[in-house]
Amino acid sequence: MAVGPYAVLIPRKPLLGTAAVLVVLIAASAVHLSVGEILVHPLDALRALFGDGTPRDLLVVERLRLPRLQAGLAVGAALGAAGCLMQTLAQNRLATPDTVGLNDGAAAFAVASVTGLTTSLLPSGAALTGAATAAALTLALSGGAGRGGYRFLVVGLGVGAVFGAVTSLVLARSAADAANAAYGWTVGTLNSREQDAVALLALALVVVLPLAMVLGRRLLLLRLSDSVASGLGVRIKGLRLAVIALAVVLGGLAVAVAGPLGMIALAAPEAARRIAGPRTVPVLLSALAGALFTLLADLLGRTVLAPLEIPVGLVTAVVGGPYLLWLLLTTRTRRSL
Amino acid sequence: MNPDQSVPVNPGQSVSAHPAEPDSRLRTRDLRLAHGSRVVVDGLDLALPEHQVTVIVGPNGCGKSTLLGGLARTLPARSGAVLLDGRELTRIPTREIARTIGMLPQSAIAPDGLTVRDLVRYGRQPHQGLLRQWSADDARAVEEALTAADLHGLADRPLETLSGGQRQRAWIAMAVAQETPILLLDEPTSALDMGHALEVLELVRSLAAQGRTPVLVLHDLTTACRYADHMIALKDGAIVAQGPPTAIITPDLVRELYGVESAILTDPVHDTPVICPLRVTPSGAAA
Repeated sequence: MAVGPYAVLIPRKPLLGTAAVLVVLIAASAVHLSVGEILVHPLDALRALFGDGTPRDLLVVERLRLPRLQAGLAVGAALGAAGCLMQTLAQNRLATPDTVGLNDGAAAFAVASVTGLTTSLLPSGAALTGAATAAALTLALSGGAGRGGYRFLVVGLGVGAVFGAVTSLVLARSAADAANAAYGWTVGTLNSREQDAVALLALALVVVLPLAMVLGRRLLLLRLSDSVASGLGVRIKGLRLAVIALAVVLGGLAVAVAGPLGMIALAAPEAARRIAGPRTVPVLLSALAGALFTLLADLLGRTVLAPLEIPVGLVTAVVGGPYLLWLLLTTRTRRSL
Repeated sequence: MNPDQSVPVNPGQSVSAHPAEPDSRLRTRDLRLAHGSRVVVDGLDLALPEHQVTVIVGPNGCGKSTLLGGLARTLPARSGAVLLDGRELTRIPTREIARTIGMLPQSAIAPDGLTVRDLVRYGRQPHQGLLRQWSADDARAVEEALTAADLHGLADRPLETLSGGQRQRAWIAMAVAQETPILLLDEPTSALDMGHALEVLELVRSLAAQGRTPVLVLHDLTTACRYADHMIALKDGAIVAQGPPTAIITPDLVRELYGVESAILTDPVHDTPVICPLRVTPSGAAA
């Protein structure tokens, strides 16, 4: 692609893949708005989006399903992008916000706030604080990003385990109904989202995604060895810290909206890489895939056992667990990550 | 090591170190390099002569690769300094260094699926900015590098489908495409057969003829003698001898470096030294 004297190399395959995923995502969004306990015709749903339609449609689509759709899209996109960034950084596809303790930190703080140990913060604020605390602890204990981000990962596992234990302890010591209320913050759900948190997350996406894409070419060079990348003019330490910061912002805000929603950050970048091939770091495509996976999981959770609702985090765990196993069992040699 | 023996006795020929060599962009001053707490290079003063092929030789573990890493700033100096055009390397922005000094480390690895052309394109990274992402200049440099490394037929092949020698040439092509005045190559011929090794070394010579300054680490002393304008013999992180190979290669130097008794012959075509190893120096007699 050429613009004036400047030209940008955009490989065709990722571009087509991105377009395809975008189309599927739009279709899934339409289904998400239409399907549920009350079926709304997709065209009626579209009309309701623009404030036109029966009061019933308006209530179901605009008041109930649209905020949930927005939350799902934002959370999925954030987790997908964060996962892509962390996996590229660590050169390890098991590296995601969940594995560096963000989710556990968020869950611990949110559960503590729901069960009444702290009262000044909303659960989502507590979750964000928890995610930030876990990230800061991990970063401090690992002494920076370190070589290949590996140390960061291992320390993150330890920090996550500690916060996981805190969550269990708090739940065990609290009354049954308080523990019940905190349940959503231990599995990940789109049911208890707070609009302020969603808006903040959307804002973060608007800022972080373009930043991550601008860094993309340099991220690509992180996949070579450190000495090669720095020989090509990449400031490795600075880039690592920047990538961690971007991933933590996205991951932390996503957890603040939906709680510890697992597997999305692992599966979405994997799918994106398979579509895009090894020549790019598909941050945008990972975000789209993450949004798509989250919507589909939420759709499953709302419809399979309707009227009983399965939290989206349970669905992703049930579907994602076998996916992880399949991933591990079919890995022959070192792939693009 | 007895400091009195650090320069081989070779009357009639000037073999003294000349760190004040005037025509040199890259030099070191009292440089100390270490891996963790293990100091590998200490107090090293060095100047790389411009437009000449410099080859660093020495026994395993003598600090050759460490020195190259220090010159490329992948290994930070513990004390002393590496100077580029008189400026300390640590004070120069990474991108600016990357436009001046190219570095190909030993056994570089690339993610699977990457093609030869992708890799060579990476060499243009230091010349690109956020807006200026790809130019005709970049395209020309990539084509020239592919030609120089004889890779045109393989340009679109994924790296993992190539032989070790072909892959090595792809990496060299990347370093060539970077178009840096100074090019540091750590054992660039290690995976290559005789023919391809020769191609790479001829390429290095032609780069020097074009006004660039290649610096190589080579294992084979005879090959090093054949292609070096300037040779630096390193032992225990210190320079034992430096100068043109014909001036510094002696049985004494070979014994001191490798603990091997040898006869030095002369290449009938190029008049460069050919080392004929005889036997391991009996222990106790070694330097």
